[in-house]
Amino acid sequence: MATNGNPKLPSWPAVPILKPEEVYAGLSDQAKDYPLFLESIVRQEHNFEKPEALADIRVLDCSTRMMIGHWCSSQLAELGAEVIQVEPPGGDPLRQLTPFGRREYMFKDKETGEEVGAQFLHEMRNKLSVTLNLEAEEGREILKQLVVHADVLIENAPPGQFDAWGIGYRQLKEINPRLVYCWVGQRGQWGPLKDKEGMVEPTAQASCGFVHGTGDPKEFGGTPMRSALWMADHVGGTTAAMGILAAIHYRNTVSGEGQFVEATSAEAIIRILDYSWVWHSMDGSIRPRFGNWDLAINIYAVNPCKDGYMMVGGGHDRLWYRIWRVVGDEYPKVEDDILGDPHLREVADRLAYNQQVKTYTMLCEWLKDNSRSEAERKLSKQQVASGGVLYVNEVAEYPHFKYRGHVAEYESPHYGKILYGTTPFLQHRTPGRLKWLGRPTGYDNQDVYRRLLGFTREDFKRLEAVTATAGEDEEEL
Amino acid sequence: MLLICPSCKTKNFLDPYPFWNFKGTTKCADCGKIWRIETSNGACVKGPDAATGNADLLPGFAEKQDYSGISGPGLTRPAPQARPDSVCRPIPMKKNVRGNVIAGYPLKKEDLVGSVAKFMIAGAK
Amino acid sequence: MAKGNGSANRAANTESFEEFCRKTFNPKSEFSKPEALKGIRVLSCTQYILGPSCASYFAELGAEVIKIEAPRRGEAMRHTTPFNEPFLYPLSKFIPERGTGLGFVGANPNEYFISVDFHRPEGQAIVKKLAAKADVFVENYRPGTFDRWGIGYRQLSQINPRLIYCWLGGFGGWGPGRVRASYDILGQAQGGNFGMTGKQEMFGGAPAKHTIWLADYWGGMMGATQVLAALHYREKTGQGTFTEYSQVHGVTRQLEYALPLYGRHGITRERWGNWDTQLCVHGIIKCGKSSYPKSENPQESEEGFILVSAYTDGDFAKLCKTINDGNLATKYAKKAERVKAKSQVEIYPVLEKWAADKTKEEVAAILDKAGINNQPVFNAKEVANHPHWVERGAVRWLDDPIYGDIMHQGPAYKLSATPPRLKWALKPVGADNDYVLGKLCGIGPDELKRLEDAETI
Repeated sequence: MATNGNPKLPSWPAVPILKPEEVYAGLSDQAKDYPLFLESIVRQEHNFEKPEALADIRVLDCSTRMMIGHWCSSQLAELGAEVIQVEPPGGDPLRQLTPFGRREYMFKDKETGEEVGAQFLHEMRNKLSVTLNLEAEEGREILKQLVVHADVLIENAPPGQFDAWGIGYRQLKEINPRLVYCWVGQRGQWGPLKDKEGMVEPTAQASCGFVHGTGDPKEFGGTPMRSALWMADHVGGTTAAMGILAAIHYRNTVSGEGQFVEATSAEAIIRILDYSWVWHSMDGSIRPRFGNWDLAINIYAVNPCKDGYMMVGGGHDRLWYRIWRVVGDEYPKVEDDILGDPHLREVADRLAYNQQVKTYTMLCEWLKDNSRSEAERKLSKQQVASGGVLYVNEVAEYPHFKYRGHVAEYESPHYGKILYGTTPFLQHRTPGRLKWLGRPTGYDNQDVYRRLLGFTREDFKRLEAVTATAGEDEEEL
Repeated sequence: MLLICPSCKTKNFLDPYPFWNFKGTTKCADCGKIWRIETSNGACVKGPDAATGNADLLPGFAEKQDYSGISGPGLTRPAPQARPDSVCRPIPMKKNVRGNVIAGYPLKKEDLVGSVAKFMIAGAK
Repeated sequence: MAKGNGSANRAANTESFEEFCRKTFNPKSEFSKPEALKGIRVLSCTQYILGPSCASYFAELGAEVIKIEAPRRGEAMRHTTPFNEPFLYPLSKFIPERGTGLGFVGANPNEYFISVDFHRPEGQAIVKKLAAKADVFVENYRPGTFDRWGIGYRQLSQINPRLIYCWLGGFGGWGPGRVRASYDILGQAQGGNFGMTGKQEMFGGAPAKHTIWLADYWGGMMGATQVLAALHYREKTGQGTFTEYSQVHGVTRQLEYALPLYGRHGITRERWGNWDTQLCVHGIIKCGKSSYPKSENPQESEEGFILVSAYTDGDFAKLCKTINDGNLATKYAKKAERVKAKSQVEIYPVLEKWAADKTKEEVAAILDKAGINNQPVFNAKEVANHPHWVERGAVRWLDDPIYGDIMHQGPAYKLSATPPRLKWALKPVGADNDYVLGKLCGIGPDELKRLEDAETI
């Protein structure tokens, strides 16, 4: 039965997942030895028999309306930290987002009927949800009490907001000197752009040079292009997690004190815009868009093929000749032409734009007659790395990814079956794992406030007065 | 698509992305004759037929049968460039964009102390 | 209930918050503060970007990272440079007429560079000696290669049970696709983020790759994150571990709502170009005029682009007022109506028509004045020279001891007490052989010369 009980839709997986006997059939013991050893130590089936690396860490994720903080706390949560998402009354406004505004794409809580969009749902993993109105003085006092019990606090309010409210780093470190306080955002808490508003990706991507460098060149009729995803938030969230873990390491091994972490989506991308900066500083070059080809390696590109788009890679000489050998099996004239071309003899000469035009035009003479799987099969016989551009329905059904559990299905007591991308943190001793996906707003108020702050029924009544949702006050994203 | 000019046999490289599903005219980069073609999924399904007028889209690059290359304004579409004068060969650079010394040009064994250029040890200015 | 509510707190709070942050995170004060990972030693037997970048994130935090490459020519990424034009010399003291390509820059800062041929038993013995003294061992060779050479997890964990063995690769070490070699854009293509990015299919667009080696560089960060978690666990238990990271797995993790949507409704997320599927107006539009019309560099003489962000009902009303379009304001006043696909198809061309005779700076100024969020699309030169990024040290001039005055990216994040920092960009192949092999393996000068002549190092 499909994940929404709709008999018309195929359930996942449409094709059963392979078993180890099938995957390693016909291999010698020696050939099977290493992969089976790896399976014995990292297969996700064993996850829950193993401890969690960050089991002693508690995180308060107070970020809202942006993915970077949630992405960061997801990394920590998957690795075992107790993450409490502190949401404004009515929940993080991100919960309301859904593609093209379609309510029917949202996931509904069986008990309360509360709807949540898939984007928020996918990142609400292993986290508890409490509501707290930080705009109210009383709410901030409660946060100060919670901070006593926390190792990490993540927030993404406009620069200086929490400080002005008395719950910034400068104030909270007096309450809990061991606290690692992490501010996340698009462009930063200080500097000429700090007050430029705009909290949602692709703000960061546009500001750091990524958008300008992505997409087809103007000469192909192209424009700068954003990533489909709020990608800079993912990278920024991961850098925030690295910073937080480094700070915890230093606290635990040396200083006994926390510190202030600042991570921005834009700077995370600037860090990995590889050679743009050194190149510019050497001769003033400005990195151009180059479409799906590469400025520094040929053959290393995605080009159209018979049934979609195909990546073929082979920067070295050895691979170059093997690729053309495969092409030559069907188009000997093409192989002859390439082999006879003096301008393509040296690896370095192949990089010039004109040479890349010739290379890929000729490669496409072959690609146009080969589907993604055919091309991959033929190229792999020559140990050339290649593969088709896959769409999400194909990713979800790809045998290798299903076998390794890149995609899995979780049955939520609230939302039913959910297909999701699993954590890539595979480890021998303390693997990352999913404990639950999705959490209704404020679901853990009773547990968290009672357990950590000793709330009585009276206290909860007062909390309700402070955090109760008045429908019209719902905060817009 | 590889268009071998029916007139002068020049190889015109109609690069994959703009020419994958194309209906219109292009121009031989050498002899200048206009050709009408139609491609579908990268394969030529109609033409090349002689045509007149301005070409809709120029080739990405072209070369004669002896591999001598043809490119330039009005002949092929311009290449994406990072600097005004791109050569696609190692460019020796002694000074950087703000006039300071960098080790951006080939050295000889005599120029080195260990793995570092002598002039860099002596002082970057 | 709060401690320290006295005068100390008050004094600290009179300084503006921005000034406090500027002082706290000042890049110029980095070297006056301790290093978070002091005392941690990392071996980096890596090539290309995925493995090397992972090790580099430890190097920024102060770990001693030793990069091991093939003798003389080093690893493949040194021979990669945009357009074949810029190189940093020398490649190694043996081949000074060749340079290191700029593809290598950014992936290996702050590290010590030695060259060891670990195809040879003598080379493998050296790696074993180093691994016995290391905390983290990073490699991204084909699965099973190091195991065959006797320097895999199974062997090294016997010598050094505290070792954290970090393997990164394309498709993982087990499963039907384990034998496939992988590159970054193959990871993007097969993981799923490539197919979603790019101009809409209905406008004749095609999938577009992310310009950065995203799966590789961000994959290295993910690998580093889980190693840091393993280090945390090791503090408590003394146990090392094996970590595996597959970059295509990471890309699939990143797909946001695509998998839940597909699983529940059978819908495949499609490309939506420069617009957003969940917010409108929140898209990148073309501004018809170039900001630098006289520039000889075509990257500058191109017209500009800008992200316009006005997705609340209030902001959208303001935007329509600014561009003087009452029709749009009435028709799409409510966000539920505005965010629909066909609404977006109608709205954005109107904005581009309005911006057709303006530069991106002019558009930004008009929108700033009206209180509408925006972000011009900056090119590499604009970012490199922008006071915001320069002041914050996101890009910085580095007085590299070997290569001179070059601009380099700074660390991606900031810490107040133990900031990550940039010491040097890279070094030639084997530049630190004498230092590292002498100091850590006790190899004397005669032995070093013998190994060098034999090209084992």
